[in-house]
Amino acid sequence: MEPVERLYLDALMEEPAVPERSLRPQLLAGARARRRPAAPTAAWAEPYASRVAAMDALLASAADDDWSRIIVEGWTLQELVAHLAAKDGLLAASVGAPVLGPPIGATDSLGRTADVQNHERARDPEQTRRDWRAQADALCRHLTDLDSTTLAGMDGLDAPVRDHVLARGLETWIHADDAARTADLKLPHPIPEHIHPTADLCARLLPWTMLLSGLDGSGRTLRLTLTGPGGGDWTLPLGVSDDPGGAGDPDACIEADVVGFCFLLGGRGDPESFPADLKGDLGLARDVLTTAPALSGP
Amino acid sequence: MEAPYDDRLLHQRVVGGDEAALGEVYDRLSSLIFGLSLRVTRDRVIAEDITQEVFLVFWERPLAYDPDRGTLRAWLATIAHRRAVDHVRAEERRRVSALGPRLYEPEPARLEDTVLAADEAKRVRQAVTALPEGLREAVELAYYGGRTYRQVGEELGVPEGTAKSRIRLALRRLADALAEEEV
Repeated sequence: MEPVERLYLDALMEEPAVPERSLRPQLLAGARARRRPAAPTAAWAEPYASRVAAMDALLASAADDDWSRIIVEGWTLQELVAHLAAKDGLLAASVGAPVLGPPIGATDSLGRTADVQNHERARDPEQTRRDWRAQADALCRHLTDLDSTTLAGMDGLDAPVRDHVLARGLETWIHADDAARTADLKLPHPIPEHIHPTADLCARLLPWTMLLSGLDGSGRTLRLTLTGPGGGDWTLPLGVSDDPGGAGDPDACIEADVVGFCFLLGGRGDPESFPADLKGDLGLARDVLTTAPALSGP
Repeated sequence: MEAPYDDRLLHQRVVGGDEAALGEVYDRLSSLIFGLSLRVTRDRVIAEDITQEVFLVFWERPLAYDPDRGTLRAWLATIAHRRAVDHVRAEERRRVSALGPRLYEPEPARLEDTVLAADEAKRVRQAVTALPEGLREAVELAYYGGRTYRQVGEELGVPEGTAKSRIRLALRRLADALAEEEV
């Protein structure tokens, strides 16, 4: 904006005025009708609910040709949204929440993704968007009364439902970012209170990403410092059976940007060129980073 | 001019579908937006409608705002100004068409258009030039020179509070002067 324009607008705002009756209640009611707020859910599931709302805001501005544009994995935006709905549905099935879309056949992510995509391809992209949002919101509502430590299974991996939901939040975030990049839009980050638990999940996954890549970190300890809003410090034993509370002195230290780190776990960015400050056993630190994307699938 | 951290956080929350954040944005900025709309339209009912619509647009299309390009206040003011000007022009057209045909129809303005057309910007600059010396200096340093209140005070050799009140008085005089011209 030109300085003279800023000056002009400021001049026009130099006499603030208050409407005779507050427009606030009417505004909030109107807002709900125009764009659905994040679904009410348990506090620990809010990072997920907010990414669903952010993705939906992005989809609201998608034009006809945006829907048929390839975003990732060779999928169009419509197929990507169907993929999110498929995985949300599998988690919903595992915790007894309503499952929308075609009846469950395949119970693995890729199989279910193919089923939902086939179902949705015949439909209008806006319907796909509504189905996905309805599935996500139904899951959120169901989580409201669920204990965060309840075990849930997806793709053969049993974990507390809270971790699965955080992973759904991360995936929704990353795909919203993929779609925003394609549309040349900037998607703001989640708030720090939502980034932090997501980063915590990513940190706790490191022993698993190493193991999946054939590296056993048993007995070794990593000091992880994630910078930026929502970051923090973690001292992590790197063996999957190590006592999480029994971390020793760190063998290696990694310092990196918190959002970059979450995206690295989510398979975005090249581990070789990932900007990080490494100390101690550099080989170990590099192993941690190189194997970090191991759990990221489509 | 980038947005401050508070604006970014409120924007992040609104993008994440947090209604309470919209309420906070409204509480913080509605009197400015309503004041601006009232200044331009001189109609309380229309100004209320515009104010409501400005915040609804921000809620519905939060990704249209880019905090790297300016403050939330300036963004909402731009939308309000555009709507208010559109209203005034539509009213003028209605009045004119009641009197007879028009030689040309102006293009309807779009959201992303600049706030001021070249001739309007010139008019604002001229109004600044016409301000009393002390007010003119202060406002030029703050806006054209990008100085803070404190820096304006230092350069003019007055306390920060005095600089601030001179700038605000200057803005008020400008708004009055520009409104008079329009009559």
